[in-house]
Amino acid sequence: MSRNSPFTWVMLILSSLVLLFILAPLAGMFLRTGSAQLLETVNDNEVRESIWLTLWVSFAATFVFAIGSIPLAWLLARKDFPMKKIVQGIIDLPVVLPHTAAGLAVLGFISRDGFLGKAADAVGLTLINNPAGIALAMAFVSVPFLINSARDGFSAVPERLEKAALTLGAGRSRVFFTISLPIAWRSIITGFVMMFARGMSEFGAVVIVAYHPMIAPVLIYERFNSFGLNYARPASVLFIIVALVVFILLRLISVRRKETPLSPDAET
Amino acid sequence: MLKLENISKKLGAFMLSGINLEIGAGEYFVLLGRSGSGKTQLLELIAGLNKPDSGRVYVDNEDVTNKRIQDRHIGLVFQDYAIFPNMTVFGNIAYSLHCRNTDRNEIRVEVARIAGELNITHLLDRFPVNLSGGELQRVALARTLITSPRVLLLDEPLASIDASLKDDIKRIFRNLNRKGLTIVHVTHDYREAVSLAGRVGVIHNGYIIQTGTPVEVFSRPVNRFVARYSGIRNFFRVKFTNESGTWKANCDGTLSFMLTEGNYPDEGLTIIRSDEIKMYSVEPQGHVNCFKGVVTEIFPSEYGMEVTVDAGERFCIDITADACSSLRLKEKSEVWITIPPESIVALQGNS
Repeated sequence: MSRNSPFTWVMLILSSLVLLFILAPLAGMFLRTGSAQLLETVNDNEVRESIWLTLWVSFAATFVFAIGSIPLAWLLARKDFPMKKIVQGIIDLPVVLPHTAAGLAVLGFISRDGFLGKAADAVGLTLINNPAGIALAMAFVSVPFLINSARDGFSAVPERLEKAALTLGAGRSRVFFTISLPIAWRSIITGFVMMFARGMSEFGAVVIVAYHPMIAPVLIYERFNSFGLNYARPASVLFIIVALVVFILLRLISVRRKETPLSPDAET
Repeated sequence: MLKLENISKKLGAFMLSGINLEIGAGEYFVLLGRSGSGKTQLLELIAGLNKPDSGRVYVDNEDVTNKRIQDRHIGLVFQDYAIFPNMTVFGNIAYSLHCRNTDRNEIRVEVARIAGELNITHLLDRFPVNLSGGELQRVALARTLITSPRVLLLDEPLASIDASLKDDIKRIFRNLNRKGLTIVHVTHDYREAVSLAGRVGVIHNGYIIQTGTPVEVFSRPVNRFVARYSGIRNFFRVKFTNESGTWKANCDGTLSFMLTEGNYPDEGLTIIRSDEIKMYSVEPQGHVNCFKGVVTEIFPSEYGMEVTVDAGERFCIDITADACSSLRLKEKSEVWITIPPESIVALQGNS
């Protein structure tokens, strides 16, 4: 393909329009937010606490759900079992559900009448309007990103490597922890970052489960409803900046793993 | 040592059927077959990566058919080596020792010993991504040999190696076998069998169709498929006749070969190795099976030159480059070819 062919130009123009569509509203929001407003928002305890809550709850949800999602991803990548396609469909279901509907589904599950709600109640924990409930709502809509990415990572590990490890005397669990997991690690980290980011930005499902304590998307919505655009904008800008910094940091970690091979005795 | 008893295994549309094979201790057995003939599947069955649908696998008279892979003590070197990319060469070689919870100092000593034997000590700190095919092959061998396997299985071990390195790797295999290691080596290249095997088996469509020493298999192939594997290019469909006590093979009325004494069917195939046909620029005297022909093609081959002669039938003949120039051969040259009756091998049927 010639670099300056009309086809290339058409492709470039169309691509630029999409990029502009993404960047222009964000740039507009940043440009309309003065540094004084931003500084005032940084000093606002309510905003700071809500951003911190969003970050740690999303991270905790991702971390806890990774414990079960990684084995599930491995099973999907490596084993054939009855109704595997249905299981795959179930995993993708939260992505296509309206998020408020997802919130209602989670609410039914964690309310005092629900299965998990009753169990939590028995140990004196109320999940509604609680960070634990927020984490469950975030995880419900974002866990497919981790499972699918990890599954793709495990699928990309050549089975011959696992077979070779078995012939060298390794048991199945050693093969998983020394071969499959380290080689699929990049995809798992990518899925982790995607799940974390998706959970952090969730509004619809969380607002139904927990209006308080307020995560950042709920706080922004509340300020917009109560005080208008000018009051909601600085909180949005601050949240975007923090989210971007965290996102870039996590990406850097995953890229560094890609460039730096594991240690010589990685299997020990 | 290694015994396969009536092994069958269905893998999709493909099936390994009724495999019976016995390989003695210290033997170098080469299994020849095309891609998709089932040779890799057979190795994986022996190693335990797959289980047969029926039949038994014995190692040292012990039935290992249902034994776990890690308890069989069978070493398998994969065609693409399957070196773990997340570990250094040291990590790869030490892997099996870590599995056995070997002491760290002992691991260092053992890895250094095997790396020294295979001349890869300088690679120990490197990651596989930086290694050549020959280096990866040595690492894969070291990683397997450190387990002291009862049998070493090699899956197409020379397929991805530069020609210049093949001799080195072959020398390593020969030395290992000389030290008493039983080796089963699968390949599609009959030349590997000729240069390495004590015994050869030919597998086709999931069946082992012939086993024997390389001389037996390549000089007396049981059918055309095996003959092709031994590099034979001269096949003729013939009718066998006995005229006054002399057996002849008649090629559709064009040529007739005189044969040695023996029992021949009514019809079948004859095969002639291309290096056993002699060529002359003038008619030689005192030869049976002497035919006049015209050179149709000449091109260089690994033996010197490959010449195609049309003498009523097409003959492929290997001669040295010196012989080619002394005969002043060129296309359309008239030549005489002779075929000793003992070089003509008869096969029954048309397969």
